Amino acid sequence: MTKLTKASFDQHKAEIQATSKNWIKVGMSTCGIAAGAEEVYKILLEEAKKKNLSIEIKKCGCLGMCYAEPLVEVHVEGVPQVIYGKVNKDIAIKILEKHVGTKMLVNDYIFDLALTMKEVRK
Amino acid sequence: MDKKIVLLKDTSIGAADKTKEYYSLILNLLRDHNLQDSVQVVRVADIGFYDQGLVLKILPEQVIYGRVQESDLLPVITETIQGNKILDRLALKPNEKQLRIVLRNCGQIDPENFDDYIAADGYAALKKVITGYKQEQVIEELKASGLRGRGGAGYPTWMKWNFARQVKAEQKYIVCNGDEGDPGAYMDRSVLEGDPHSVIEGMMIGAYAIGASQGYFYIRAEYPLAVERIQKAIAQAYEYGLLGKNILGTEFSFDVEIRLGAGAFVCGEETALLASIEGKRGTPQPRPPYPSIKGLWGMPTVINNVETLANIPVILLKGGAWFGKTGTEKSKGTKVFALTGKIKNSGLIEVPMGTSIRDIVYNIGGGMLSAKGIKAVQTGGPSGGVIPKEFLDEPVDYENLQKLGSIMGSGGMIVMDEDDCLVDIAKFYLKFCVEESCGKCAPCRIGGYQMLGLLENITNGKGTNSDVAKMKRIAQAMQKASLCGLGQTAANPVLSTIKYFAAEYKEHIEDKKCIAGKCRYLLNYKIISDKCKKCGLCLTNCVFGAITGNREQGYVLDSAKCTKCGRCYEVCKFKAISKG
Repeated sequence: MTKLTKASFDQHKAEIQATSKNWIKVGMSTCGIAAGAEEVYKILLEEAKKKNLSIEIKKCGCLGMCYAEPLVEVHVEGVPQVIYGKVNKDIAIKILEKHVGTKMLVNDYIFDLALTMKEVRK
Repeated sequence: MDKKIVLLKDTSIGAADKTKEYYSLILNLLRDHNLQDSVQVVRVADIGFYDQGLVLKILPEQVIYGRVQESDLLPVITETIQGNKILDRLALKPNEKQLRIVLRNCGQIDPENFDDYIAADGYAALKKVITGYKQEQVIEELKASGLRGRGGAGYPTWMKWNFARQVKAEQKYIVCNGDEGDPGAYMDRSVLEGDPHSVIEGMMIGAYAIGASQGYFYIRAEYPLAVERIQKAIAQAYEYGLLGKNILGTEFSFDVEIRLGAGAFVCGEETALLASIEGKRGTPQPRPPYPSIKGLWGMPTVINNVETLANIPVILLKGGAWFGKTGTEKSKGTKVFALTGKIKNSGLIEVPMGTSIRDIVYNIGGGMLSAKGIKAVQTGGPSGGVIPKEFLDEPVDYENLQKLGSIMGSGGMIVMDEDDCLVDIAKFYLKFCVEESCGKCAPCRIGGYQMLGLLENITNGKGTNSDVAKMKRIAQAMQKASLCGLGQTAANPVLSTIKYFAAEYKEHIEDKKCIAGKCRYLLNYKIISDKCKKCGLCLTNCVFGAITGNREQGYVLDSAKCTKCGRCYEVCKFKAISKG
């Protein structure tokens, strides 16, 4: 990577902001990992490959909902973006099959706290 | 009709969860109206409201209904889902109690991906500052924001920066204090792990404002993942030219290194922290001179907490005035709390300054874990105090917490119920400070030890009425004469529990009783013969021979032999053993 300058900084930012696709985020800070997020992340990667799903699976930090770890946030075009909590292997597979595959939300594991947290964004 | 989604959750407290029953009811109704294919009903685990009966949320319109009765389900379907009409009598306002400034990226971006941070407006504030701001302008912006140090003391950040800026020196330093050590607090770890670049960016803006070219991260070695992520973030920033010489092609150059703390609590104190970075033994120094004038290797040094630095990029990007709109008169912005204890939703929360404790416990924390009532809330860790339930409606900010005899501290918030003994809590925190005292000054080293001895006497049933007065005297000496914050504040948990829970101390001293059942030596175990099923489980589990008897005649507990270990109480399946 070449070093960024005043001019190339904005260009670089515009390039990466343009790419938006379906993704799954797994909370992988100390709290998430302690609750078993590594395993969930691994199974998501494996199953997505097996099922040939085009979805990006990313690691991210802690959302703060430690009581519901491991947390998995899913963004699929045409389905509301939701956070699943207390996810284990089986639920992870269900999320891929139902939420990503058939675009239906999975019962009993959604922690719908989006409305309790106002984000500071433009 | 567009495809709709109905989320539902029974949020009643103290009653059986009827989410599943309502789920089938709604499914049946939808089938009756031939809507089963265009509406998906989803049971959720948490809908963001508590104690509001059945809550429904209809997407994509984001209509929220609370206290929905069975009879309301039909109108919800015919009027709202089919007719797009909102039923005002059921509608709830969004429960927007949290505001995420510090945690804006935590859980949103991949902390190990540089581009993720850039896409989330990362380093935009740095670019704005180093390409167009004078040093004074940065400090003016901070002054307008009213940001105060989030490490605990609440000193205005702009003043610290301004002192260091005004000193003429060959070299200046900026240090990030990531030596988070309060029991129960972990917000700094979470920010370092979840959004390391924002802390680096905040540090660089600070460095630009004061004229520093070298920064240090002081992070405790017990946070290996935080250290690893900060290391990666620093390497990426160097790679992209955001650290090093002539950043973004400007005159500004800045280097960062990491120093690991070995886990001494006192090293969170700024002069001890600096000694530790210099490779010396981590003990505090008398102040003044303050580090902003004379710090690392005798040079002006600004020390900021992780959370403080994470606020900086947003302030510079959106303006100090914008930041200053949130919060109370003297405490601006938001504060991250680590909400723990006997609470349903334990975790990290970020609320505007001035939010009431009640809102935090019941509307964000989801209420108490058990049916037992709330007794008190502890804030500020070992330097803080307890706030009894009478003050639940008090707003949380620096001044108000101090007025109540506690402090903001780094942001631990522990909720306690009737099962917690406040004398025992005071003992726990004081013991922590006694163990962590560096021993350099006598008031802290000797005062803490003596006070702990008195507290132990009280919890062992050997306390006398004069002990409380003695503890108050020692506390005063420690507050006045200790060298650093550790000793000056170590007595706070004791003082605040004496202030609000004097009756509990009296019970321990005069009646030799601990109502909460925490102080082991004040407990008396007895077998209640009416409830005893003579199973003999207590006999086999008592290793001290205090329980005698047989399956025919029943069992008796000899209190003279009993060591009060509590084993019999735990194993009895019939609750036939009483304690207290």
